[in-house]
Amino acid sequence: MRMDSKTIEQLLEKYWNCETSLEEEQQLREYFGGEEFPPQWRETSELFRYFEHQKKEYVKHPTFDDDVVRRIRQEEPRGKMVRLIYNVARIAAGLLVVAVATFLVRQEIRKSYPKEVADTYSDPKLAFEETKKALLMISKGFGRAQKETRKINMFNEAEKKIEGKKEEKKESGNI
Amino acid sequence: MDLEAFQTRVLPAKNKLFRFASRMLGSEEEAKDVVQDVLIKVWNGREQMNEVQNWEAWCMRITKNLSLDRIRSRQRKATDPMGEGFDIRNETLSPHELAELSESMIRISQMIAALPEKQRQVIHLRDIEGYSYNEICEILEMDMNQVKVNLFRARNFVREKLVKINAYGL
Repeated sequence: MRMDSKTIEQLLEKYWNCETSLEEEQQLREYFGGEEFPPQWRETSELFRYFEHQKKEYVKHPTFDDDVVRRIRQEEPRGKMVRLIYNVARIAAGLLVVAVATFLVRQEIRKSYPKEVADTYSDPKLAFEETKKALLMISKGFGRAQKETRKINMFNEAEKKIEGKKEEKKESGNI
Repeated sequence: MDLEAFQTRVLPAKNKLFRFASRMLGSEEEAKDVVQDVLIKVWNGREQMNEVQNWEAWCMRITKNLSLDRIRSRQRKATDPMGEGFDIRNETLSPHELAELSESMIRISQMIAALPEKQRQVIHLRDIEGYSYNEICEILEMDMNQVKVNLFRARNFVREKLVKINAYGL
């Protein structure tokens, strides 16, 4: 239905005042999309034609849809993998911290022990042999020392005897 | 929503999203990239889509936000003396468009491009895309009053220019 210019004028006035409904705005676009309208609305018609023209603009990239779908497909498994790797890395990092901490604490404990006390043998058999050797050395030393002390004892006894005789003499001399 | 439903329901909205991003960014190439990012974002947030009343308005809102992010990063680059892309002004019309449009349509296009950003967004959403005021409120995260004021100013700016062109051929 072709609208008369009076109606269009009223509609246009409503349009400029932002009082038109979407349907009325569509009517204006249709009217100015046609060929016949009074010359005073030539520029106004260009505005509505411009709107119609802009509506036809579209994405011109032929691979647009495929690119989107490909990106969606790529992101899905990668998202899962990334999450998995992230979790594994988190656990590994935790274990690493514990291992490093244990190592450092052990080092510190070792440092705080005197060297002689430090456990230097990892093989218990070897440690036993070494201990036995050390104990034997000590006992050998003890044996030798005993021999020497016996000699000293002899001197001591001899000395005592001599001293005893001296005292006897002194006593008899005093009498 | 599976990929097939996404392709039949959401993907066809790409042209609307593209036009909006293109208007905001002034570059078809950048608009294309933004729309792809929007669609990926929509796909990743597809569970929320059931809660959204108007998913198309929701997509448009994401388009607006991602376009604004891009404009901001462009401005950061422009103010960064070491950054590239010093010229932030983009051509509002592609050579293809220039060849297609009549002289007066080019003038109108330049008029609209000269509008403040919010007015440009509102007039685009109403007069080109035909969204209702409520939808525009949702997309632009504005109240009804702001939307109407911006539309009124935009239309009146265009009207005054058209009157001048009519009267003096300017």
